Amino acid sequence: MSRQSLLAVFALVLLSLLGLAVGNYTTYLLNLAMIAVIAAVGLNLLTGNSGQISLCHSSFMAIGAYVSSLLGARYGLPFWASIPIAAAVAALIGGLLGFPARRLHGIYLALATLGFLQIVQIVIEEFADVTGGVRGLSVPKPVWFSALEIAPYHLYLIVAATAVFAVWTATNILASSYGREMNAVRLSPHAAQALGVAVARVKLAAFALSAAYAGVAGGLMAMVVGFIDPIEFGVGAALRQITYIVVGGMGSVAGSVIGAAVLSGLPEVLRPVREYSDLIYTLILLGFLLFMPNGLVVVWDHLRRAAWRAIDRARAR
Amino acid sequence: MTVTLAFQLAIAGISVGSIYALVALAIVIPFKASGVLNFGQGEMVTAGAYIALVLTTLALPYPVVVLLVVLVGGLGGMLIERALIRPIIRAPEFTVVIATFAIGLLIKYAIQLRFGDSPAALDGPFGMDPLMFAGLRFNPTSVWIFVAMLLVTLAVMAFFKYARLGKAMRAVSINAEAARLMGIRVDSVWRWAWAISTAIGAFAGLLVAPVIGVNPEIGTLILRGLVAAVIGGFTSVPGAIVGGLAVGLIETFSGVLVSSTFKNLVPFIILMLLLVFRPYGLFGVADAKRV
Amino acid sequence: MKRLLTVLAGALIATIAPLAAAQQQGVTPDTITLGAYGPITGPAAYIGLAGRDGMNLAIKEINAAGGINGRKIAVVFEDDAHSPTRALAAVKKLVEQDKVFAIMSVAGSNATVGTIDYLRDKGAVMYVSIASAPPVTWPFARNLFRGGTTESARYGELYAEYLATNAQNKRIAIMHGREEYPRNEAEATIAKLKNWFNIEPVARAEFNINDKDFTSQLITAQKANPDVIAFFGNPAEAAIAMRQARELGLKQPFFVGSNMVDPSLITAARNNAEGVTGFSLIPYLPGSNAPEMKQWEANWRKEYPNAPAGRPNNFDLLAYGDMHVLAEGMRRAGKDLTTDSLIKGLEGIQNYRIGPVATPRTFSNKHHIGNLTLVPMQVKGGEWQPVAWTSKRESDILSRYQ
Repeated sequence: MSRQSLLAVFALVLLSLLGLAVGNYTTYLLNLAMIAVIAAVGLNLLTGNSGQISLCHSSFMAIGAYVSSLLGARYGLPFWASIPIAAAVAALIGGLLGFPARRLHGIYLALATLGFLQIVQIVIEEFADVTGGVRGLSVPKPVWFSALEIAPYHLYLIVAATAVFAVWTATNILASSYGREMNAVRLSPHAAQALGVAVARVKLAAFALSAAYAGVAGGLMAMVVGFIDPIEFGVGAALRQITYIVVGGMGSVAGSVIGAAVLSGLPEVLRPVREYSDLIYTLILLGFLLFMPNGLVVVWDHLRRAAWRAIDRARAR
Repeated sequence: MTVTLAFQLAIAGISVGSIYALVALAIVIPFKASGVLNFGQGEMVTAGAYIALVLTTLALPYPVVVLLVVLVGGLGGMLIERALIRPIIRAPEFTVVIATFAIGLLIKYAIQLRFGDSPAALDGPFGMDPLMFAGLRFNPTSVWIFVAMLLVTLAVMAFFKYARLGKAMRAVSINAEAARLMGIRVDSVWRWAWAISTAIGAFAGLLVAPVIGVNPEIGTLILRGLVAAVIGGFTSVPGAIVGGLAVGLIETFSGVLVSSTFKNLVPFIILMLLLVFRPYGLFGVADAKRV
Repeated sequence: MKRLLTVLAGALIATIAPLAAAQQQGVTPDTITLGAYGPITGPAAYIGLAGRDGMNLAIKEINAAGGINGRKIAVVFEDDAHSPTRALAAVKKLVEQDKVFAIMSVAGSNATVGTIDYLRDKGAVMYVSIASAPPVTWPFARNLFRGGTTESARYGELYAEYLATNAQNKRIAIMHGREEYPRNEAEATIAKLKNWFNIEPVARAEFNINDKDFTSQLITAQKANPDVIAFFGNPAEAAIAMRQARELGLKQPFFVGSNMVDPSLITAARNNAEGVTGFSLIPYLPGSNAPEMKQWEANWRKEYPNAPAGRPNNFDLLAYGDMHVLAEGMRRAGKDLTTDSLIKGLEGIQNYRIGPVATPRTFSNKHHIGNLTLVPMQVKGGEWQPVAWTSKRESDILSRYQ
């Protein structure tokens, strides 16, 4: 087994034990953190690695959440069918967005994604007969099939397994030739083009891929929370996901994990000053942008290298 | 649709379009000068409305309020530029985009914390009773908004054409390095571009407050302003004005002719179509970067 | 291997142990911990901030008078930003992590609907002060109570009767927001207009929360030549709509939903509010000259000297009155305070109110609809004044619960 796979199994075992040791409400919070990780990993592939600004990542989460919830509510599809379908729909729409967006960059791309986010918001709000509009949509209880409900601990395991899988696939993608192409497109699209990289195709694939991650995250979130409404998937959510990857470290899967895990726990820590929590979140974002643009992953790398050095020295003795 | 109704709607459309035009103008100016798109511009408009609200409680005459709003807005812009934008002006576009977003949000949250979310009202300088003219109703505040917008536009165009600083700004927007070599203090030009843009934004807030009320959500105007800026091409001042008026008119008419759902979607559909087919707008100049 | 077994054993004990100590959560010998949620950020913050303040004022009074059967009240407040998802998350946290005894909701209808299924499952008592969303009281759930705000169906009954008797040509135009509360008000009104009076609205237009332009909706209304325009939204929206109506040449009077029968409408709409009618949930509006209200407001201002303009508003009053009702329910439950005894305590309440600034509450073991009274009012001379009109019809609502 490769080192990646070994680490993945180890992480899954660790998370499973953690889930046993804590209460229901903490498992719920952990679920939300892991879902944030999945979304952040997807966004980082698009923005951190491929260099495409996207202000509409939360819209793909919305698509995943609404499609999978409606499939469950109207056709009784259980999660293991509805979420993959929803993710595929999100990926398709991501590709559709990526197609015209491939020629845009910088602020034009930011504007296009912002426009897309607004369109998705409006569609959710206006077609209220289907989506529940601003009154939200109640999500059917998660089931294995028909009436067999999923216990909270098993739901946690599902989310944990998906999160580990998401991290594992992202790491493999980045290590592959496609991953190298993504980074090349970010660093210098012209040079990449000159070297034979199909830049437009890479961008399009990056959009579709990140949308798929977001779609999965959205479907899981609907299942875990039990209720969805458009406010959860607006500009605020998109900016929060950007904050995760900025704080964690752009272009690095470890960065996505760190950023999402640390920051999704922040609202709990900030409860005493909850009226200021929005303000503090934004200050953190700005602070990192100005002073620590490489994110916390830099700290993580230092620690990792120091650890390996210590291990090497111990081995050498 | 009767002719009277069409005219009435046109008046409404031009009035709201004038606000979009001012926001677009405020976005275009620093973009032209420094290539930075201020996503937080909407919050400058909100700030302008609240500054006006505070000043009104001091019972100052309207022209003084205007002056103070513009000054405070401009100074605020200078501070923001110096403290927050200058350090990142050479950073990747992503950083700049998100940073301006974040700055805008900071302003919004600060306003929310200080003033709460309750709606407040601000009086226009000319009262709200409609004037009758040729069988049509004109809201004096809407007329004033349009006139003010024209005045600002003319002032800005004159500024760029005749004032030294204005000409320097044009030079910097074409080629900052060359301008620097010519002895123009580029940093100073950028700072002034920001100050002017935030001043215009704040002024727009003062103008629009009597019409839509004073609340922290005013900043969402920026979306329409951005669409207007794209229509006009990001680098054209008259384009921004035409874009703003166009968005205002299209929105108003489509609301009545099609449906209110469509009215909300329209600006973003226009945006997406333009970005796909003509990102440089109807007036802008293409920027050779095609990959 | 041994270590793993120890860890697993420890984990098992950790999860089982709390179950062994199964006592009423949220109640200790000297404290009752209540949970509360409402919008203190977002588009409906004017509701939640006021609700929280009104509730806290009542709690302070109760604690100062010795508490409830020897216990003081502590409250944990969560923000829901007017989103049903966040409200659900808030309630989950209050019940599962903060382990509160009961929940007081000062949230809007839009957010409250997110919490209903969960609370029906869990069984913790929720007392809803401000939301009128139907699922709180129908179908009947023994742990859910509604206080100050009346049923949407009741709004429908009174509004329909008032509009039908006052509209000369029976031409009524309806404009309403899309989220839970204004939509419910509008639909209840339309339903009763049809069922009781055989009247269909001549126009119906929708808008989104905090829309800034109502031209297209107003033109739709104008084309239908109504006698009156019934507007269901919030004060900020109404102010803009009423101004734009005058600009478009609409002379028809406006009738507004109960959340707009509040001084904030007059602050926002100025002269355009003159002549507007609506029904109020509280006997006196803040700012009225009635001595009881002046007294109450003076107390309020002592507690909140730095409150922004437009406060206190009717949500301060509703939450204040309802917190006292919940306290009365807890008092009646006696020293052995559990969810069951609280439910019995509340169900025994008949025509209780803390004072003239609140409307009376009555519950029974068949229904938990605390208030069916609304007071018709009109803006005259820049102030809300009561109107001499009483309903001549019996309410249908309680018949469902027999």
